[in-house]
Amino acid sequence: MMHLGVSLSPFGHHPAAWRQPGATPRALDFRHLVAQVQKAEGGALDFVLLGDAQARRPRIDLPPQTTPFEPTTLVAALATRARKIGFVVTAASGQHELYNLARRFASLDLISQGRMGWNLVASGPTVSWNKEYVAVVTALWDSWDANAFVYDKSAGRFFEPNKMRVLEHRGEHFTVRGPLNVNPSPQGKPLIAQALTAETLALVAHSTELLLVANASQEAGRGMVIEARQLLTGQGRDSSEVRSLANVVPWIGATRAEARNRFDHINGLSSQESLKSWQGRDVIGTATDIADALQESFERGDFDGFTIMPPIAPDDLNAFVDCVVPELRRRGLFRAHYEGATLRDHLSLKPSQQPAR
Amino acid sequence: MSNDAPKMKLGAFLMAGGHHIAAWRHPKAYARAGVDIDHFISLTQMAERAHMDLVFFEDAAAIRERDPRLASQAARSTSFEPLSLLAALAVNTSRIGLVATASTTYNEPYGLARTFASLDQLSGGRAGWNLVTSASELEAENFVSSGLRPHAQRYARAEEFADVALALWDGVDAGAHIVDGVKGVYADPAKIHPVGHDGAHFSVHGLLDSQRSPQGRPLMVQAGASDAGMNLAARTADVVFSAAQTLAEAQAFYTGIKSRLAQFGRSPDDLKIMPGLSPIVGATVREARAKYDALQALIPDEVGVALLASYLSIKSLSDYPLDGPLPDMPPNAGIQSRQQLIIDLGRRENLSIRELARHFAGARGHWQVIGTPSQIADEMEARFCSGGADGFNIMPPLFPGGLEDFVALVIPELRRRGLFRMNYEGATLRENLGLGPVTRR
Repeated sequence: MMHLGVSLSPFGHHPAAWRQPGATPRALDFRHLVAQVQKAEGGALDFVLLGDAQARRPRIDLPPQTTPFEPTTLVAALATRARKIGFVVTAASGQHELYNLARRFASLDLISQGRMGWNLVASGPTVSWNKEYVAVVTALWDSWDANAFVYDKSAGRFFEPNKMRVLEHRGEHFTVRGPLNVNPSPQGKPLIAQALTAETLALVAHSTELLLVANASQEAGRGMVIEARQLLTGQGRDSSEVRSLANVVPWIGATRAEARNRFDHINGLSSQESLKSWQGRDVIGTATDIADALQESFERGDFDGFTIMPPIAPDDLNAFVDCVVPELRRRGLFRAHYEGATLRDHLSLKPSQQPAR
Repeated sequence: MSNDAPKMKLGAFLMAGGHHIAAWRHPKAYARAGVDIDHFISLTQMAERAHMDLVFFEDAAAIRERDPRLASQAARSTSFEPLSLLAALAVNTSRIGLVATASTTYNEPYGLARTFASLDQLSGGRAGWNLVTSASELEAENFVSSGLRPHAQRYARAEEFADVALALWDGVDAGAHIVDGVKGVYADPAKIHPVGHDGAHFSVHGLLDSQRSPQGRPLMVQAGASDAGMNLAARTADVVFSAAQTLAEAQAFYTGIKSRLAQFGRSPDDLKIMPGLSPIVGATVREARAKYDALQALIPDEVGVALLASYLSIKSLSDYPLDGPLPDMPPNAGIQSRQQLIIDLGRRENLSIRELARHFAGARGHWQVIGTPSQIADEMEARFCSGGADGFNIMPPLFPGGLEDFVALVIPELRRRGLFRMNYEGATLRENLGLGPVTRR
């Protein structure tokens, strides 16, 4: 079964999306953002991806592609108003104290009852720093054995003390006593996602479960995924417990000519804009054309699914859910409704396993 | 009191099972409260229906007890992280203020200011930040190898941290996001003021990506009662949360903070003081006392004594006889003011370690009043009307029952006396607290 996520943006991912007629600052309001999430949930999509323009600082402008909210804060609000869809949320390792980040995501995973993923931007100073950071975050998430919390009122035992793992980590870059002071979630712990590039390959192979591929070229993206899978298998990881999703920018029209006109028109508005921020493969055509393109790539085994980057929001999100998703269902490629409750369920991944003691 | 007299400000200090250390063991306690977001949403909505000013959350970025056996007996060993919790509450309420604790010692100002700006935007101007400097060794051990920083160093960092946060919140004016597609102007450059800060602790250059707060900027709350803490509060805080056992202590603290405001160009009304109050409400005195005793009976002595030791910032009290007095204690790097309050309470009431621990376990050194609605209202009125408080942060021993009691029984009594509002006055937290509009600094 194909996996589908959608990336959230107030105006859309195209740099000139905010210049469309009808775009107003009201698109920045929470109620418009939650409406997009609920639309995606209505289509039974796997997850919503929240990017972060501030993951690379400093900025002295106000960027229109991502929401004007700190994403790990916004997502807690969204998760209470959309109670089935998963979330993958961007946070840069260099911008959060390690313990705070582990705690924030564990808390988000609990607020959402097991629907949270962390899109890691490894912005720490070195590869070894980032590796240790992620390893310690993961170890903190494993602070509590399954069924550690017994809530035994008469014995006065809230949890079983021998099922708590005090970390006592003293590494090259971090000193963290632990344990994490947050209960584990129904999916065990949050999922780790990361953009797959030549620079991130080593860390992806080390710790990432959801590979996000932003290449405009399918061939290049496919090559990266094959390389990452080989590398992580060589490190003893199970390649079947990893999902790779390619970014797709769908330009949907009632006819091919209409889709092409939309594409040309918006690109004409963006002469002074930077076109490099959120990338992916442009697919232009009718809903059937988009479904054909996704099916072809999926069945060739290039990717496990796709992260949809609506160029104009909410129009292209609505068109994708209303027209492309039903077409994928007719072809038996996508689920009719949610079959599980957690993000790992949606992505057909097993609940997370704790390392043996 | 007449109807236009000043009204009390009331916060609901929320915690999973209750403020009493053994609350989770009570037959009526919801043991899984701490992992159920809907429990917190429903408590916050209950406080909102009663028109309380705010809900409040404390925080520690660590487990609170070193000994696993003792930690395993306390529900407060784990909890939601408060800022994600606040975001979840913001979009499921519409009027009540939302205040959570965050540390200046283990955060960076840009990220924290950004998070509170988001919370303020999500809530439509109802967010507040309780600034703490984090006094516990266990927290320090989760972040640094060098241990807990001395009090003075933590406060020096906090002063600069607060200034950077305030500057960042002033970085974007109202209406900065224009989104004029025809002219190609996304944001008005005249309404954007990137921060350029190079100080002893922080170097921050840039801009928050938020819109301006509907209440100007998030509310600033503090609880520090040391001299350095009171100065920081007098300079930057809008609300101070305090602990006071007696009326005299409450008045001394109240005067101590308010008298410092003038030197920072502020007036006494610019800062509200809301001491903690744990009410145990019964229809009769006997019923209230029975409720209290039922909770007290659930405290294992070793858990109570360990909690007391943690607030005294000492490793253990187990070397001293349980039925003897507190030993003399040197000042330490932890919570100096709370330590003194405990020592004073023990001496004043001539309590043994066991008795003090049991007393302390109910509300962690905050003021407890056990009685009928009218007795509790009497006590609150006395402090409110005699320069001891502008309001109270209510710490029910048990949730949801303790908050239900307060809302259903005590608030109506306060209203009969003209001491509490019938309806929210404004849309934002600042407006409801009667604080003036914020101007750019």
